[in-house]
Amino acid sequence: MDVKDKLINDEVSSGPALEPMAMVALDAGRMLMEAGASANSIDAIVAKFARGLGADRVDLRIGYASLAITIGIGPNGITRMREVGHLGVNQRLDQELWRLSDRVAHGELTTAQTRAELTRLAAKTPRHSTWVMAVAVGLACAAFGRLLKVDWSGTGPVFVAAMIGQLVRRDLLGRHVNVFICATIVSFIASVLGGLGAFFAHSDSITTAMIASILLLVPGVPSVNAQSDILEGHPTLGSARAVTVAVILIFVAVGLWLGQVLLSHFGIQL
Amino acid sequence: MTFAFLLHQTICGALAAVGFGVLFNIGFRSLPWCAASGALALAVRTCCYSQYHWNLEASSFAAALIVGAAVQILRTRADISQNALDVVGCIPMVPGSFAAKAILGLFALTSIDTAHATETLVTAVQYTLRVMFTIGAIGTGLAIPSLLLRVRVSR
Repeated sequence: MDVKDKLINDEVSSGPALEPMAMVALDAGRMLMEAGASANSIDAIVAKFARGLGADRVDLRIGYASLAITIGIGPNGITRMREVGHLGVNQRLDQELWRLSDRVAHGELTTAQTRAELTRLAAKTPRHSTWVMAVAVGLACAAFGRLLKVDWSGTGPVFVAAMIGQLVRRDLLGRHVNVFICATIVSFIASVLGGLGAFFAHSDSITTAMIASILLLVPGVPSVNAQSDILEGHPTLGSARAVTVAVILIFVAVGLWLGQVLLSHFGIQL
Repeated sequence: MTFAFLLHQTICGALAAVGFGVLFNIGFRSLPWCAASGALALAVRTCCYSQYHWNLEASSFAAALIVGAAVQILRTRADISQNALDVVGCIPMVPGSFAAKAILGLFALTSIDTAHATETLVTAVQYTLRVMFTIGAIGTGLAIPSLLLRVRVSR
């Protein structure tokens, strides 16, 4: 048997197809990453899917905007890459993916069935309604305001401003507006509304109310994930997340600054 | 520190965690766990900060460490991913207002007629450092229990 015979194995065509297996595992990792998971979780779930579907070897590279996987069965292997979209947070999808990974790991599903389940999860995982989310965000920012020592008369305006800010953010993201521009617009609107409301409510903490109104935009999950990724051996992804967090904060601050300039222009003392 | 103040901070921490839990699409059945996580974080931080006079960074570290450890212990009972529960609990401690003040302070320095430029710069740098150290403290506090217990990705 010469070198060529060793490289091209006759069993390749009879074994499980590596291509769909790799793409299903990558899609599971992509969905989990877009749902706000840390690098270690993505690594683990992709390995569970790939091994559960029959792979012997799994190697994953996690970038900020793409995932690359190499899987192998016996002497055969392939490498595939998948683009990752906007990194949000969706814990119910995260949870459903973990449940599905357990079923795949126990050999309950074929590659095609797993693909169908992933498609179903992407389409059917429920989300809270727009209004429930807006009220919850308003409540969270009002609580933040109290933690930052906003007086009671300024707390109501913070609640309303953050609620409207969340509604605007949802609408803008639905129109596929760039997330950084969206952060500035929402920050401007929420801070102006929070500041005006606190002014008319005779609050003594107008500036703090403006800041509390924009705290819905602070990227808490990415900032914690950035550090845990670095600690767990993924410094490139962690650094990319940290830079993104810093840039979002700058855009949020620009919106707040514009809001302060506008209110000062109309004679409101900040 | 009075009990009323501690209760106020704890309730606000719980409300903030629940609000962000909804934003992160955590199911209604799991929201009480988010509330408990946020309440525990703020209670510990308030105790350390106001009662024992630790600085904010150390207080945040202690709170994140305890929340991280509690989540590790209780993770099988809460029908929610471990990562979500401890992060949501610590969200109320993320110093977003300091970050905004730090960047606004740096903006203020670019103005031609900046009064007290040195004072403004020092304040902005202080806020920046506090943001970095507090986020670092929270991240480290959350990571230590999971790294020590080697339960890194399970629910």
